[in-house]
Amino acid sequence: MAENNITLELNNVSKSFAKVENDEVTHALNSIDLTLRGGEFISLVGPSGCGKSTILRLVAGLINPTTGKITVDGKEILKPSPERGMMFQKSTLFPWLTVEKNIAFSLKMQGKLKGNEDKVERMLKVIGLESFRNDYPGQLSGGMAQRVALMRSLINEPDILLLDEPLGALDAFTRMNMQDEILKIWQENGQLAIMVTHDVDEAIYMGTRVIVMDANPGRIVADIKIREGYPRDRSSETFVAYRNEILNRLHFGGGR
Amino acid sequence: MLINQSDNIKKDIDKSQLGSLTRQQLRELEEKEKTRGQKILDGIIMVLPLICGGAAMLEYWMVPNGSPNKNPYTYVGFLGVLIAAYFLYFLAALVKKIRGDKTVLDRLRYRAPLFSALFLLLAGYDYLTLKTGVLAQPFVPCMNYIINIAWIDRAYLFECTLHTLRLLFLGYFIGITLGLVTGITCGYSEKVRYWINPVIKFLGPIPTSTWIPIVMVIATSLFKGAVFIIALGSWFAVTVASMTGISNVDKDFFDAARTLGASNRQLVFRVAIPHAMPSILQGCTQAMSSACVAIMIAEMMGVKAGLGWYMNWAKSWAAYDKMFAALFVICLIFTIVTKVLELIKKRVLRWQNGVVK
Repeated sequence: MAENNITLELNNVSKSFAKVENDEVTHALNSIDLTLRGGEFISLVGPSGCGKSTILRLVAGLINPTTGKITVDGKEILKPSPERGMMFQKSTLFPWLTVEKNIAFSLKMQGKLKGNEDKVERMLKVIGLESFRNDYPGQLSGGMAQRVALMRSLINEPDILLLDEPLGALDAFTRMNMQDEILKIWQENGQLAIMVTHDVDEAIYMGTRVIVMDANPGRIVADIKIREGYPRDRSSETFVAYRNEILNRLHFGGGR
Repeated sequence: MLINQSDNIKKDIDKSQLGSLTRQQLRELEEKEKTRGQKILDGIIMVLPLICGGAAMLEYWMVPNGSPNKNPYTYVGFLGVLIAAYFLYFLAALVKKIRGDKTVLDRLRYRAPLFSALFLLLAGYDYLTLKTGVLAQPFVPCMNYIINIAWIDRAYLFECTLHTLRLLFLGYFIGITLGLVTGITCGYSEKVRYWINPVIKFLGPIPTSTWIPIVMVIATSLFKGAVFIIALGSWFAVTVASMTGISNVDKDFFDAARTLGASNRQLVFRVAIPHAMPSILQGCTQAMSSACVAIMIAEMMGVKAGLGWYMNWAKSWAAYDKMFAALFVICLIFTIVTKVLELIKKRVLRWQNGVVK
């Protein structure tokens, strides 16, 4: 497994949003401290409004923290960068570009496409969609579209991969397939992967660490290391134990 | 032989080869087998335009004229060309079909009733004008007169057409270019929108023809004035359409593009504009129809050249055949221009075609 040694640090990070309709302020995140390293797969779970997507957007650099600092190897994150690839729940493939051009988009924007066409080729091959290269996203199924979106964000070989409920809109079977595909890619490249999900099973199945969050204000309530090798068995005793622990932390436990 | 062809195609497709089916073959496979009666009916419908063309020809020759007719062969030639054109189209479609592509023939079958109607319409018009004078001569001249005068006056008509096209496209392109610039900057920048929006809201609802009297007084030349009027209407249509298009771009697309390393400039040119393209092209189509209205009004009210002027001028000399000839040329030009725009739109927006969901 290739591994990078980057360190992502969130130092006392808070983020508040002003509401549009009145003078109130929503505290999406309240003094978060986190240290994450290359090679980890972080699952962020929690109820809606707990600020898990906000953390991703902050790390991506799409928004800036109200207070505190986010650094990668000591360098502060101020704006988005192709070194931090992001995948969204909704397909954000550009519908006017073919599959191939969507994947090549980032290289083209940075003026690096010339001489790197083989990278695009490799990405198409990884997801087995070579014969769809000239199709437009509107012609793809949901699973195929998300595969293309994943490759589009991976073409820069980012150190950090941000996944914002990437599989949320897929059907159960496609979802399980994609979980394995994402894990495989992550294992081969050893990025720091941070994934937001609503699905506790998915969080345990994929993560090396599950970070449980709660809302009002958004905060971390548990940081659980999953000490089990891949591939994981969804019905094993340890898996169920992890699940119970996490559900307990989210106040859904007890009955089992 | 024709009828057997489609059966052959079906036999050619082995069920085990389903994986290599083309779309065309699939459609043919799924299509319901036509009954013998339907096939015969289709055949008749496809031959019908030729019969109707013949009928129009007979009507012209056999029914006695109600008023004198000069150069009677022109109309015969005109009808002959139309009939021959359909006949060649039919032949080409048959050849394609025999070679295995039946799409052209299907389209011909779809259009054939319209062609038949066209010939019947020509025959009816001839009957009402030349034959019976229900539509009084020379106020509503018969087809033969119109074609004759169009041919005799062709050099002048051509000159007028060029003038109209020059004016139309000059105004149109100036209008849509400026419209794109204002629309895109307004859609993208809140500050620019603040200043431009009131101007659009204030000037927008005024029909472009309202400006004509003012422009006639102020403009240094009528040509420039007309360009201004046409450009103004096009500018408005494109500005509004592209502004809405740009400001409706899903924010997620911008977020995605930013994480992929797009600069602000690239966000505009690589994300916002392509995303707004359907809306922008819609605006361009609207601009063209507004430009067509504006140019005719401008030419009829002041500009001393062009087809609109020609019509007005012919009317003042009581040359009604010339008036109708110009009208047909105008119809033809605007149809072609609209068709070309449509083709461009289809080509640019081909990513919208064949969307599965």
